Amino acid sequence: MIIRPLRTALLAGTALVMATAAHAQDYTITVWAGGSNDNDIYRITAIEMAADILEREMEILGEEISITVDGRYNFASWDDFKQSVTLAAEAGTGPNIVVTSHGDIAPWAQAGIIRPIEDYIDLDSWPVTDIYPNLMEISSFEGVQWGLPQDAESRPFFFWIPHLEAIGYTAEQIEALPAAVEAGEYTLYDVLEDAAAIQEAGLVEPGLGFYPRVSNGPDYWQFYLSFGGEIQDPETGHLVLDTEAMTGFYQFFADAVAAGVTRQAHIGTPWDQWYAEVASGIAGLWHGGTWHYARYTGREGLEDFFGNVQFTLIPAGAEGVGRSNTITHPLVYLVTSTGDEDTAFIAAELIKIASEPRINSLHAIKSAHLAIAESQSEIDLYRGDRWAREATERLLPHASAMPNHVRFGEYWDLMWGGLESVWSGQKSAEEAVADLEVAVVNALGDDIIVR
Amino acid sequence: MTRQAWLGFGFLAPATLFVVAFFLAPVVMTGFFAFTNMSTATGITGGTYRITEGVISRLAGSEDVPAPLIEALGQQQSVVDPTGLAALAQGDFDAAFVAELEEELGGRTFASQRELEGAIRDLDNRPRRVRDIKAAAELFERSVLNVDFATQADFAEAIQAYAGPVPDTAMTALARAAYTGWSMTTDNFSRLFNSPELGTVAVNTVFYIFATLTLFNTGFALVLAITTFYLPSRQASFFRTVWLLPRISPPVLYVLLWKWLAWDTGFLNAVLEPLGVAGRNWMFDSETSAWTFVILINGFVGASMGMIILSSAIRAIPQPILYASAVDGAGRLQQIRHIILPQLRWPLLFITSYQTLSLLTSFEYILLSTDGGPGSTTEVWALAAYHTALRNYAGNLQYGYGAAMALVLVVFGIAMSFVYLRLFNFKALVGRPRIEQ
Amino acid sequence: MRSERTWPITVLLAAASLPLLVMYAYLILDTFTDSAPGAVFPNRFTLEHWRFLTERQGSRASIWQATLNTFIFATSTTALVLFISSTAGYALSRLAMPFRRLFLGGVLILHAFPTITLIIAIFLILQMLGLYNTLTGVILVKASLELPFGIWIMKGFYDTVPWEIEMSGIQDGAGRFQVWRELVLPMVYPGILALGIFSFLSGWSEFILPQVLAPDASVQTLSVYMASLIFDDQNFNFNLFKSVGLFYMIPVIILYLVFQKYLMNIYGGGTKG
Repeated sequence: MIIRPLRTALLAGTALVMATAAHAQDYTITVWAGGSNDNDIYRITAIEMAADILEREMEILGEEISITVDGRYNFASWDDFKQSVTLAAEAGTGPNIVVTSHGDIAPWAQAGIIRPIEDYIDLDSWPVTDIYPNLMEISSFEGVQWGLPQDAESRPFFFWIPHLEAIGYTAEQIEALPAAVEAGEYTLYDVLEDAAAIQEAGLVEPGLGFYPRVSNGPDYWQFYLSFGGEIQDPETGHLVLDTEAMTGFYQFFADAVAAGVTRQAHIGTPWDQWYAEVASGIAGLWHGGTWHYARYTGREGLEDFFGNVQFTLIPAGAEGVGRSNTITHPLVYLVTSTGDEDTAFIAAELIKIASEPRINSLHAIKSAHLAIAESQSEIDLYRGDRWAREATERLLPHASAMPNHVRFGEYWDLMWGGLESVWSGQKSAEEAVADLEVAVVNALGDDIIVR
Repeated sequence: MTRQAWLGFGFLAPATLFVVAFFLAPVVMTGFFAFTNMSTATGITGGTYRITEGVISRLAGSEDVPAPLIEALGQQQSVVDPTGLAALAQGDFDAAFVAELEEELGGRTFASQRELEGAIRDLDNRPRRVRDIKAAAELFERSVLNVDFATQADFAEAIQAYAGPVPDTAMTALARAAYTGWSMTTDNFSRLFNSPELGTVAVNTVFYIFATLTLFNTGFALVLAITTFYLPSRQASFFRTVWLLPRISPPVLYVLLWKWLAWDTGFLNAVLEPLGVAGRNWMFDSETSAWTFVILINGFVGASMGMIILSSAIRAIPQPILYASAVDGAGRLQQIRHIILPQLRWPLLFITSYQTLSLLTSFEYILLSTDGGPGSTTEVWALAAYHTALRNYAGNLQYGYGAAMALVLVVFGIAMSFVYLRLFNFKALVGRPRIEQ
Repeated sequence: MRSERTWPITVLLAAASLPLLVMYAYLILDTFTDSAPGAVFPNRFTLEHWRFLTERQGSRASIWQATLNTFIFATSTTALVLFISSTAGYALSRLAMPFRRLFLGGVLILHAFPTITLIIAIFLILQMLGLYNTLTGVILVKASLELPFGIWIMKGFYDTVPWEIEMSGIQDGAGRFQVWRELVLPMVYPGILALGIFSFLSGWSEFILPQVLAPDASVQTLSVYMASLIFDDQNFNFNLFKSVGLFYMIPVIILYLVFQKYLMNIYGGGTKG
């Protein structure tokens, strides 16, 4: 997607590059990775490795290029990262490559902040052809392939096994839990019951029986899906507010607070505290992400993960209501509009090389994310990792993703505001959904369908 | 004009330049943005014209644009036609490649550029680099789907070239649907006044200002000023020093210290747990505890200004009056009530009005401590505007709506300033210069 | 009257000040000791919390780069504010000129203005000037936002200079500019000093402006550096934060100890919460 008048100039440029191939070309590729900490360093290192390979390939083709990769991660939060990227891109000083949520593709594509990767690489070549088609779909928007998936993950439900045993679960029952959840036999209301039992047994403090994510995140849409909700209409592409499912979802959290298994002031609990608590049995049942495995077993020092933690899909809302599910929220590599065409071609090529199974597995295993390509399960490093293996099998086949829609962010904000008001007791679930309905129609107009 | 006036303008020029560029201009622009739907997606500086699948689906059923045209625009098409071949021959491509392409693919139509690229890749004399294959395929693209146009004229021209003549009404509707930039609207304000969330935020804001002001900025400031007045001077200056610390500490550090006090692994728990109080994160434990900390954090900073102003006001009371009252046998409390407090009426009014405004607009300490949480229980208006305009988890910052929220504060702030100006007798402040040359 | 017993007051104030005393005492203590989890008193002396002085934290710039940036930011802002306020303040205080009331009213209103809410528009202006993500840009903005306060303060100081001094200067045949430069300016040195210290501290502490307008590692100030450390939930370590914080606060403490008197003076007209 190139601005037309530029195209002729582009061609001339190509010719020029070909003519001056003998000169050494210096490129500096800046990479910003959001939501990344030291475990996720391969989001940047993979690009550095790719740069090395590309330099060698180009040398064989008779072109001497030198690529410097300038990486940045450690943003204070996702919000800070997105603020920095959007403002910098608006000012033309942004990075060349961003690693971000696939949900940003829609607004950033409209804004012209990013370039479609399909204009810069051959999609019909390896390793792109090896990437899971659903992940490719998630990194595209309106039929255009904007980026390549950087990793996959999934957001499971977790149980602290010793607590389950203490309230009467047998080893077999715990073993069978994932299947029971998948089949919709074990539901969210069973979660509340078990959480209450764990609290009554004095195993955890009041309010820590069911210990959800502490901040806004894709995770909460899972509960909307649990109650049968649909986020986007597959026919028209419009967003969907299913009031019944939304009420069920809000009501579930209201019930959790009312039952005393979740604190009314839970949202905003600091992450460092939360991680320490769920990884040590201070909490009972909770939900998180596959990458939490790295944190639990690393920094939090949980040695026997599989002996202490059972993981499943997010249960269905209630008996016969909705479905068990999990959301995968892959990060994607995107080429930004910063810099000239030459640099964009280099950046895109680097992304492509970095997506090769072996390089991607380094990230997947180090940060406990899941593979982006089929063949990674044949790489020893990946295959040898129990977590990667089991999480891939148990969760990924059922994973869905949130839609890439320009205005989804606004809907999301309003959904979250409604949940907060129910959680903190300011409104009943029905009131909140009624207000939400008014608010989304107010804000989104024709872009949303209310059912 | 007099020389003095010229000198005056000269002296004011740098200040005016700075204030206009970075202060007044932003005020005017904020007012303007408030009436737009500007966001990350629309960009700040304007958009382009682009037909996408989304545009096509939004146009479906449109009365202005004929359905066949919509369908045509939704198609992607690459045609190996003479125009393209001529351009290819002009470009810096291998002659054998150009010849082979013309022979093998000449006259064929492809449903997408990707397919054409695939066909080119299979040629014997294909360019080696992907980039050159793409450059060659690009020359044959004949559709407008997913192509960006900088101006409406370019857009219209390309559409007509592709789909033949298009009536003006249809073209206008097309351009409107395809434009990616922002447009003017008053929706922000109707949204603002209809939003139940913002109602809560407004209530929060009033509560926050009222509580902080009465408890600390005036209330405790008064206590500090009066008590230190009666203390021996070394002790008095020690306490004043301590209470000035929050104000001179960088906010990031100051709030960190409070977090350390309140955290689950923090000082309060270390002290209270041996006493049998269950450990918790005191800053986020409940709505009440969050508000307590927000008010403490702001109040401890705010108290010092009142302390300093009121202290100097007390010291300005003529000593003989105080001695006389002591001789008359008045106790301290009576002295405070009958002599000191009446003298502090105006300074207190000044502090109240001044700090109402600064509390209304400052959100730094809340941002760094609770960030409006838990939930959105401690969200105040200025913070909500910041969140809306500059924080969005889904990467689509709402500049326009955020500006509308900011504008409410701006209007409020200006109105209050005018009231204060009247209250504090503006005329006295601007007494005429006595040298008239 | 001050002979009456004062110890109840001392006890009362000490109790109210306790949180502050504890926080600041532990700010220093925790930077070179370790405590067992949940313990009130430290049990081990260590210098490892100061390793940030030599080791880079993740992909952040080095602390020295951030310190240099902060220093440039604070001093430049101060210089601008002082220069511009001392001329503008004089004009508003002393010079008979058209629109003087308008200017003065404008300054007064801007003085208490919701500045931070303008940040999107400010961003756009910086972007148009090509100054986004530069220290220059954020310096210009900070100085401009501080100006109404600076001008107002300087006007106040000029107001206290006796007219006779200027009258006599003019009778001796000097122009207004010369009178200002040679006679009046020296009289307001205390004001300039006070405003200078205030502006420096304010610049040194500023968080939101650099956070939004200059977030890049190469132009990061200490406040942004420290905030990004604190919000990184992977490395939550109060001892490290406090060590960085204490390092950050050293210039503040020095200025405060030396110029306490001036500070009391100017914070009486303070700008924030």
